[in-house]
Amino acid sequence: MKNRKWLGLFTLLMGILLLAACSYGADDSTQGAKGDGEPAAEGEPKKGGKVSIPIVADPTFNPWHPNAYAESNVVNRVLFSGLTQTGENLEPIPDLAEEWETSEDELEWTFHLRDDVLWHDGEQFTADDVAFTFNEIVLNEELGANNTSYFGQLKEVQVVDDYTVKFIMESPVAALPAYLSFNTEIIPEHIFAGQDPWDLTSFNKENPVGTGAFKLKSYTSGQNVVLERNEDFYGDIALLDEVEYKVLADANTHVAQLLSGELSIFALDDLSAIDRIEGAENVTVEARETPRFFWIIANQEVEKYQDVRVRQAILHSIDRQNIIDTVLKGYGTIADAGIAPALKDYYTDDVTRYDYDPERAKELLAEAGWEDTDGDGVVDKDGEPFTIDFEIGLQGDLEAISQMVQQYLVKTGFDVNLNAMEWNSMIQEVVVNRDYEMSLNWWRYPADPDLSAYMHSRSVAGNNIPAYQNPELDKLLDAGAQTSDVEERKEIYVDAQKLMAEELPYIFLWYPQEAQVRATNLKGVPNLAFGDALHHIHKWYIEE
Amino acid sequence: MLRFLMNRLGQSIILLLIVTIITFFLINLAPGGPSSTMRMDATAEERQAMVEKLGLDEPVMVRYIEWIGNAFQGDLGTSFNSGEPVTQRILERLPYTIELTIFTILISVILGIFLGVLSAIKRGKAQDHVINFFSVVGLSVPAFWLGLMLILLFSINLGWLPSSGVGSRGEEFSLWGYVSHLILPVLILTTTVLPNIVRFTRSSMLEVISQNYIRTARAKGAKESIVLYVHALRNALIPIITIIGMLIPRLLSGAVITEAIFGWTGIGTLIIEAARGRDYPLVMGVTVVITIVVVVCNLLVDLLYSRVDPRVKNV
Repeated sequence: MKNRKWLGLFTLLMGILLLAACSYGADDSTQGAKGDGEPAAEGEPKKGGKVSIPIVADPTFNPWHPNAYAESNVVNRVLFSGLTQTGENLEPIPDLAEEWETSEDELEWTFHLRDDVLWHDGEQFTADDVAFTFNEIVLNEELGANNTSYFGQLKEVQVVDDYTVKFIMESPVAALPAYLSFNTEIIPEHIFAGQDPWDLTSFNKENPVGTGAFKLKSYTSGQNVVLERNEDFYGDIALLDEVEYKVLADANTHVAQLLSGELSIFALDDLSAIDRIEGAENVTVEARETPRFFWIIANQEVEKYQDVRVRQAILHSIDRQNIIDTVLKGYGTIADAGIAPALKDYYTDDVTRYDYDPERAKELLAEAGWEDTDGDGVVDKDGEPFTIDFEIGLQGDLEAISQMVQQYLVKTGFDVNLNAMEWNSMIQEVVVNRDYEMSLNWWRYPADPDLSAYMHSRSVAGNNIPAYQNPELDKLLDAGAQTSDVEERKEIYVDAQKLMAEELPYIFLWYPQEAQVRATNLKGVPNLAFGDALHHIHKWYIEE
Repeated sequence: MLRFLMNRLGQSIILLLIVTIITFFLINLAPGGPSSTMRMDATAEERQAMVEKLGLDEPVMVRYIEWIGNAFQGDLGTSFNSGEPVTQRILERLPYTIELTIFTILISVILGIFLGVLSAIKRGKAQDHVINFFSVVGLSVPAFWLGLMLILLFSINLGWLPSSGVGSRGEEFSLWGYVSHLILPVLILTTTVLPNIVRFTRSSMLEVISQNYIRTARAKGAKESIVLYVHALRNALIPIITIIGMLIPRLLSGAVITEAIFGWTGIGTLIIEAARGRDYPLVMGVTVVITIVVVVCNLLVDLLYSRVDPRVKNV
């Protein structure tokens, strides 16, 4: 009798374990069926409710702080405002600046500021705040502030009157309004004047004062940041009551909380979970275009990669569509140049294309003098086999992608040593020491086609990591930076893309799309990447 | 007794020194530093400015001596990433881990001893087999997998429990809000220590039960429950106390994984954060605190040992 009771308990426990393992899969299929039939109609915007957004670590409430990474950007974008912001076509639109114009020689930009902006502590926002942010923080080299590379051509910011500032440039930068919308929010002079901006913990970690649509309500380290509606906001007052950022280090937890309704919106990095999410009934997935491109770089300091035919052969060797379909689950389009389709005004696909063609790759290698003379499956030249040291950082799907690339390259006849290392080590080796042959990663850039920072020969010490130098490309990039006329720039950047595709300063892979996941009842989110959609968070609302 | 304590104190300080030296050099000599955790597109100048600001251009040896000098005066330095004092950051997080640990130990000890004794006296019977089976399962199943499975079941499919967080601390207190957030993390941590306690209690009990004095106790007609719980268990407890002391370090390392899965803002998530962000002072601070906890636990076990077993004298 007693034994039977124990047996019952045992069976029950086993049952629970089995349920945990199986019920998930079963649930999935029924939810998928329901989710597909959901009507897409949106109701009237309504006030109230809150959204929850995951961040992977504690944020720093200062957009310029060297420790402000992605988790800080998504908070700072809502707390603070920039002079411009990203509009629905990725063009810069007014924010703190109502309008702007540039001088004939494009060396002086005048920004007319709003006169109705209050800081969260009630102080008036003026031109002095803008001048302070740029002159004292951005241009102070000792501070090493974030994102200063966009302002390398900025000489100074002059205050014309309380609500007008002038940006004085060393050389023309047509992308300036776009740069001013990208993690370059204005911080208050009346708090920072005379302080060490990085040591001011009372602001950076405790009590930030911004101008954005939401202000800080509470912050618990390791737990969450809660923002509440700023009733004195200069634009349309936000509809949501609160925005909560939850500190959750683990990406699996993000997915779990999204499915259980505890998180509202984020950009999904690890696409392996996408099938589960697409099947869920209370969650919507949207593909969003972003100004990003994935690349392979071949160090131009190493002789064998200086031959463009070798770079072209590498690109012909890789079945990129297959990688997009398998690893990226279809969220991306093949790239043969660097300007992403997200930049609708400038993108063109009328460039040299590199289809998956291992035979063509072998021909190109043979033209360049690399042939498999000893029959060991590896091409060689002057008795030297073509070995590639391929160093990548472990993050997201980079490893999975690199393994596939390795296999494709081996098939063509390269001897590839893949060395996947911890992210910080990779930065040290590849970015800081430039001690590498080949690497794979991606760039995310402000919504402007000016890619000088990544491939102009003057950026070799900066983010031109492959150290690619081509006077012809430099000329085009300079020309594009010197005019603000969209039509004119379009012509220039179409030529630049053709040249990029021919010369492959980067071995371009694809333009990834962002898989934006959000609770279905969250409405009013514009058709933008998650980071950019945050600029419009005052329009978001919860549908009952 | 005093001499024993002094002795132990001396040993502990040497141990602490060794641990800090190893940790300090390991993290500092690992490739990449705080300046490489910056965004990928940070320029060389931005990185250099950070290195100088943090004083990382000094040799490692110099920095260690400076750090240990300050540490002995109770100053663990300032966190690279948040700019707040390391001590403050640890004190903020420590209570959460202690809370988790206390509940886990309480549940594991009570349940563990009960199940262990049951398993021993029902040796070879169904109960023993069931308990053994689950002990092995508990020992073998990785905490991160079980954690995710339980989240799937209780948070997503059933919607009974929150999948993570520590509940609405600071807001209006609700007992369910408090308990519901504790259940899953405590359950996971319990699975990492409970099986050990069960198995130790079982073998310890079995050994004691076969002793002569137990037979004598039975022979003089003592009630079976008195024999088991007064004569046998008291003697069986001695090795169990040791194992509990040894399980505390294990619990702390288990907390790292558990806290990460359940978004529990304790010392475990703090050290992950610190290691990821190459926040050297914070890594060192947490290491020191954990080492002290482990050393103190071991000392307590030794002291308790002599209380439970008068034959053991700490001299």
